[in-house]
Amino acid sequence: MFMTPQSIGSETNIKLPFSFILFSILAIIVSQVLFLFHGEALINGQFRIPAIWSAAHLFILGWALMIAMGAMYQLVPVAFLTAIWNETFGFIQFAVTALGVTTFAITLYVAPHLALVPGLVMLLGILMFLFQMGMTLRKQAEPNILTLFVGTALICLFLTILLGITLVISMKTGFAGELYPLLFKSHLLLGTAGWFTLLIFGFSYKMAPMFSLSHGYEMKLAKYVYGFYVSGLVFIIGSFFLNQVILQKFGFFLLLIGFSSFLWHIVTIIKKRIKKKLDRPFSFALLAILFGEIIHLLAFMAVMTNHFSSFVGPLMVAYLMLWIALSIIGYLYKIVPFLWWTHKYSKIIGKADVPTMKDMINEKLALPLFIGFILGIAIVSFGLVWKVTLLFYIGQITVTIASIVFGMAILAVMKK
Amino acid sequence: MDVQNQAELLDKIRNNLKRVLDPELKLNVVDLGLIYDLSLVEERVAAITMTLTTPGCPLHDSIVSGVKYCVEEMEEIDRAEVQLVWEPAWSPDKMTEDGLRTLGRL
Repeated sequence: MFMTPQSIGSETNIKLPFSFILFSILAIIVSQVLFLFHGEALINGQFRIPAIWSAAHLFILGWALMIAMGAMYQLVPVAFLTAIWNETFGFIQFAVTALGVTTFAITLYVAPHLALVPGLVMLLGILMFLFQMGMTLRKQAEPNILTLFVGTALICLFLTILLGITLVISMKTGFAGELYPLLFKSHLLLGTAGWFTLLIFGFSYKMAPMFSLSHGYEMKLAKYVYGFYVSGLVFIIGSFFLNQVILQKFGFFLLLIGFSSFLWHIVTIIKKRIKKKLDRPFSFALLAILFGEIIHLLAFMAVMTNHFSSFVGPLMVAYLMLWIALSIIGYLYKIVPFLWWTHKYSKIIGKADVPTMKDMINEKLALPLFIGFILGIAIVSFGLVWKVTLLFYIGQITVTIASIVFGMAILAVMKK
Repeated sequence: MDVQNQAELLDKIRNNLKRVLDPELKLNVVDLGLIYDLSLVEERVAAITMTLTTPGCPLHDSIVSGVKYCVEEMEEIDRAEVQLVWEPAWSPDKMTEDGLRTLGRL
């Protein structure tokens, strides 16, 4: 007996995800150049200066968040079999968020005390995105474990920006001044391990089997991954406010168990693949999971030996770049050709010869590009740990060049 | 149309469908095992029941419209009715030997 599929409606208008992706390319290049020009401050451990705030927010919000939003406009219909609630609203949301992120980054650089208003514009853009996704996910006929991961990631994003705005208000008015360090740490944790990691977990469960053509794998482990990781986040935030080191240690232990379970789960999925040879960009997205595991292990060891505060900077850089950024770049290298191919060739498939996905993007470039990116980050991290200026600059120049080449590779797809 | 001619036409349609490639896997829809059923409901009307490797495949619209076009452009066919189904779910055992070989599984 055959079962007919649900209609997923029309595909997302390509201009919507591409608006986010193009903006993000510019943001990553500018942010890396800013880091390059303020290397001395980073090496001296001065992370809380206006230029570094500006670069960090441009990187995290202008690049990673914008790209995640753009990718979600494309992936949510694919993963959840439901069309985006309102595309026009999506374009308006893009314009508001892009304006907010740009003015926020500029204000943080030149006059941080004036960052509240652009911060509120950015907040509005992100709230619009959350509303859009909430309305879209509501339409999903059968919520599943992926919905839980992505839904929780969206809640973490909401809490992150709420905390971020509270921090700006606190800085401007002195409101909740004594809570500032706790709010700041919660902001960082929820923004990275909450929003990005849970989002990558969720979409990896769709993309890893899709890109490897895996079938017949179990999904039971996913709920344990979710349970361990989210509990870890709750325990760590609890430890900030209750000032209990033991809670923090237990929280980091839970994060490690959660991440290790995820790694193991993906290994079991990939073992069931039909496609013998995996594409390079996708292999690097998988490698990012291994890096994430190592970073979680190192963070746990640092917490257990009471050395976390000494290593938090390099660990954060490694977490952002080798886990989050490498995952995003790896998947994006696959998603963008899909987007452009669908836009340009879907109407002529079967009628004329069409290129394959591999023809759409320079795959040969992937190997030196990803290796350059990874090496650059590793050198930057060592430069920061050992406080060696030369190492930092060599690494940061490599990362900046890799970002530019990555941007050009993505733009080149649009000429195919 | 007699049984033999009908069988020949169905073979011809099946061969023509091999022009529709999954651009990610570089494999045609027939060898990938996506075509579940192929029949002639009327003399010049073909019915195709097919699936995709995963629900929500991003190439959903492209592959289905490619299949429809490939059959409708044949001079023996006026119309193709394509039905996309998820049950029974696609699995690798539906692939042909050629398909498995292309993906390095044989």
